[in-house]
Amino acid sequence: MSLKDNIEELRKTAFAELSKIVSSADITTFRNRFFAKRGELALLTSQLPSLSDKEKREYGSLLSRLREELTSAFESRSEEITLEELNEKLAHEKLDITLPGRGNSIGAKNPFYIIRDEIADIFLKMGYEVKEGPEVESDLYNFERLNIPKDHPARDMQDSLYINENLLLRSQTSNIQARVMEEKAGKPFKIICPGKTYRRDDDDATHSHQFAQIEGLVVDKGINMAHLKATLEVFAKAMFGEKREVRFRPSFFPFTEPSVEVDVSCGNCGGKGCSMCKNGYIEILGAGMVHPNVLKINGYDPEVYSGFAFGIGIERVAMLRYGIDDIRRFYTNDVRFLEQFKKKVS
Amino acid sequence: MEVSLNCLKQFVDLEGLSVEEIAHGFTFAGIEVEGTRPLAYGTKLCIGEVLTCEEIEGTHLHVLSVNLGQKYGTQQIVCGAPNVRSGLKVVVALEGCELIGGKIGKSTIRGVESHGMCCSYLELGLDRKYLSDKDLEGIIELDSAAPVGEENVLHYLLLDDYVLSLSVLANRPDLLSILNIAKEAGAIFSRPTYPIKVEHLETYKTDFKVGSETEKCPQFSGKEIKGIKSGSSPLWMQRYLMAMGVRSIDNIVDIGNYVMLITGQPLHMYDVNKLPERKLVARDDYEGSFVALDTKSYDVIKGDICICSKERAMCLGGVMGSLECAVDSGSTDIVIEAASFYAVTIRHTSTRLGLSSESSSRFVKGTNHFQSEFVIDYASSLIKQLCGGEQFSQTIIYQSEKEKPIQIETTYEKINSRLATSFSPKEIKGALERLNFKVTDKGNKFICTVPSYRLDIERWEDLSEEVIRLLGYEHVPSILPTFESSEGSLSESAIKINLVSDYLLNQGLDECLSYTLLSEKEYDETFTTIFDHDAYKVMNPLTDDHVVVRTSLAHSMMKNVIYNISRQTKDMALFEISEITTKNSYTHHLCIALVNDKHEQGLLVTRPYDFYDLKGLVCGIFETLGVDASRYKIVSNDQVEELHPGKSALITIAGKTIGYFGELHPTTITKYDLGKNNVLLAEVVLDDIFALKVSTTKMEKISKYPTISHDLALIVSKEVTSQELLHLITKTANGIVTSCEVFDVYEGKGIASGTKSVAITITYGSDTHTLEDKEVTQVEDNIKFELNRRFKAVLRS
Repeated sequence: MSLKDNIEELRKTAFAELSKIVSSADITTFRNRFFAKRGELALLTSQLPSLSDKEKREYGSLLSRLREELTSAFESRSEEITLEELNEKLAHEKLDITLPGRGNSIGAKNPFYIIRDEIADIFLKMGYEVKEGPEVESDLYNFERLNIPKDHPARDMQDSLYINENLLLRSQTSNIQARVMEEKAGKPFKIICPGKTYRRDDDDATHSHQFAQIEGLVVDKGINMAHLKATLEVFAKAMFGEKREVRFRPSFFPFTEPSVEVDVSCGNCGGKGCSMCKNGYIEILGAGMVHPNVLKINGYDPEVYSGFAFGIGIERVAMLRYGIDDIRRFYTNDVRFLEQFKKKVS
Repeated sequence: MEVSLNCLKQFVDLEGLSVEEIAHGFTFAGIEVEGTRPLAYGTKLCIGEVLTCEEIEGTHLHVLSVNLGQKYGTQQIVCGAPNVRSGLKVVVALEGCELIGGKIGKSTIRGVESHGMCCSYLELGLDRKYLSDKDLEGIIELDSAAPVGEENVLHYLLLDDYVLSLSVLANRPDLLSILNIAKEAGAIFSRPTYPIKVEHLETYKTDFKVGSETEKCPQFSGKEIKGIKSGSSPLWMQRYLMAMGVRSIDNIVDIGNYVMLITGQPLHMYDVNKLPERKLVARDDYEGSFVALDTKSYDVIKGDICICSKERAMCLGGVMGSLECAVDSGSTDIVIEAASFYAVTIRHTSTRLGLSSESSSRFVKGTNHFQSEFVIDYASSLIKQLCGGEQFSQTIIYQSEKEKPIQIETTYEKINSRLATSFSPKEIKGALERLNFKVTDKGNKFICTVPSYRLDIERWEDLSEEVIRLLGYEHVPSILPTFESSEGSLSESAIKINLVSDYLLNQGLDECLSYTLLSEKEYDETFTTIFDHDAYKVMNPLTDDHVVVRTSLAHSMMKNVIYNISRQTKDMALFEISEITTKNSYTHHLCIALVNDKHEQGLLVTRPYDFYDLKGLVCGIFETLGVDASRYKIVSNDQVEELHPGKSALITIAGKTIGYFGELHPTTITKYDLGKNNVLLAEVVLDDIFALKVSTTKMEKISKYPTISHDLALIVSKEVTSQELLHLITKTANGIVTSCEVFDVYEGKGIASGTKSVAITITYGSDTHTLEDKEVTQVEDNIKFELNRRFKAVLRS
């Protein structure tokens, strides 16, 4: 057999073998048989030097073509096999991606704080200062500075928890207003005062001896009822939705004149009237123009300055927003309740 | 106040207005109508006469044949009432009639068809407290003149009335009077009002005297009436009283109540013949016991107002009369009192004695001092009409103050500017005049005279409210105020609290809110030792549950933990931040509870919370607040006994303990009945951390020279803390140790008991040059030497 025949023979054998490769073991075997130093290709190549120049050229080029073709075919085949084998391996490494991730789930805020912070944010954006004040307060700041002198019938309205004759757990956060007016000493300002308040009340689904308010107070020249209305509209829309409307009803508070109850149109029925509201409106807060006596007692001339004030019940707003059925839920901290309020965006 | 609409309509024209329109009008003028209800209810009623009445054997029932007049003819009705009998005129609820209890249909009772029902007052919706025993036991018995076939039965019974429940505001005690409500209604609906018709009576001159020896009773009027006869009141009065929540007693008592409801002025009546002398004087210096109409004895002290006759108290002024001179069915001669008392005094007396009456509640809110003569005349005319009063004395009047109507001078412009409205002077004037204010123009100002019953109006701002509540708040526009621009701001502590809260929320803890007040039992000394625990206590608690103003948050937090565990939530991480008020301080505390297991990957990977979880959170808070670790210390706990002594620590700043954290002591676990639950607790005074100054951040250069890390494994006594080892290494490092950290602690097999193996990695480096081996070896040898010298640390082989 001539070398040429041998080359042809090798070509046939090699390509036949190549087609049989199915595993990485086969790849190694094949490579060793055909491409190794003493492999079949090398064996034929080693015969070239003993040939004539012409034969060298002819068979040399035949051989190198075979080598090229075989190499290329082999490489592409072995790539295929490697990939197949990798895929098969990976297929066995599949995770249950539905199992939980690692690390902390985020904590939940008591919805009380969510609403408190949201209300504060609304007024912070309008340039209000947020002010705090003491919870155990003297009669002076809790009542007298707010136009509720001793023996005023309004003191019956807010039956308070007293520490002694002069100290009590504040019955409203207006004590902060009195303190701020003292601090501002006759200068205009706008503040909100969030805080816990206390009344001598039995706890049930809608009453609580402890609840929280955010009161607002603006004192400046020329403040009027339209300013109050617009401000509360901003609050109502931000808190309850764009389409809400604000309505005033006459009321009475010793520290405001005129005094109003503020209703917001019901979002459930759009003001038509439904089981969630009273004739299409929901009562949300009390407000009014600051009583001239309050200004006077606290060092502002009521003929020069005027102001408005409002008081928002935080739990009440949270109950309306989230459909919470019982005010006591805020205070028992049932984890099953708390964890419903994880969302930081709503 | 419950108001009978029919009664009100005697004094104001409300024709053509529906109950809903009236309620809406009142509510938006500041008199909130909390509800309306018909006094009685029944849609298809008819008066009938029982023609025959036969027993249904073996039952208490009767089968009746009832004549219902032309329209409905004669119907067969089964009736179970004991008082049914032939010849009786009855109220029949016809088939299809709706009653409070449901709809009447055709029915067959014991095989007998029944086409309707004979009604009792209860079935018409009347409250049983207004009904006599006879009325309660059986059906309504109409008198023999009742017109058979009459369908407007409620009208016939004077029950076709509506009750309005008014919520009268605290500044409007004048509205506890039907007359004043009528005036208000006249203003709201622009309708005419009708004055009371008082009959002029012939009077005689009397020697009876009334007076006052105390300024707390500025006005006292009386009238003697002779020859009255006790009896029952007419139906119209009984009905009005029932609608307004008052039980009818007899004609004389009913007149007292009725006149009070109409005029707002409480009256009191004395049996003249039971008085020790013909004189009544108001005093505030009486002392002694007093037996009131309710037959109970009360201790009267100086300061209470008493109406005395010959040194004996006949009435606790404005609160309740005495039993000894009470008017009863045998009384013939009486004295009516219409007086005024100081609200404050009445309130004190009433609160102290726990005794209040319809009168006292009105005096407490405030009454009109200048209408007693009219009120007495009105009561007298009713007494003449209804009790057969024969002789009426002149009204005896004691009055120490003069009626001085309040006059307010202001401008229309001021009123408009407060309200942000643009009402014309005519509109403003009109509104005030409708409310019975007298308005007189004076240049560009006006003078407004306030009617004497309006105790709430003192200044022009009050008038602005009158104007707007009458003309309507819908006229107030909506305009945002334009301020000098200012920046909204939170206090520094509020900002820091938010940072801490956000940090803990992101660490997976839930934020709690709890009550400030604890019971004495809950508030024991546990968990309070390291904090200021000088607690305020409420002097007038409503319940024992809310008495002590808490001085720490741990009690509340333990309550949260127990609440959740008992509801099958076993694993939890909670925190609360709250202001804490003691007798000496106002601060903010943070409390954290870690309970049972931490879920590191759901329930796939869990492990019990331990000391280091809490320590991580505590240190994380300092880090969040930018406080360098050198500013505080974590030291062993030798103060808080409620914690496991070996698994707890105190936090100190400049030697002051500001908090604790750690595992609960087994005895604490037992005390709270927590069984096998693993509970860790921390409490810190945040203000002490907030007070630390935070240095400004400046970038430090990063060394361009390489570092070398070496590991050291040491055997030391268990008592030696890792902090001590690290501290010594850094100190001995000659400035070339850039960091050193513990990466393994091991006790047990292969390590002698009482000792532990601590593995530390030390990193050497320099800002100025690449370290040479020689330098590092020398320092490391020093370190080993010092570790051995100080802590007897030996290298682990």
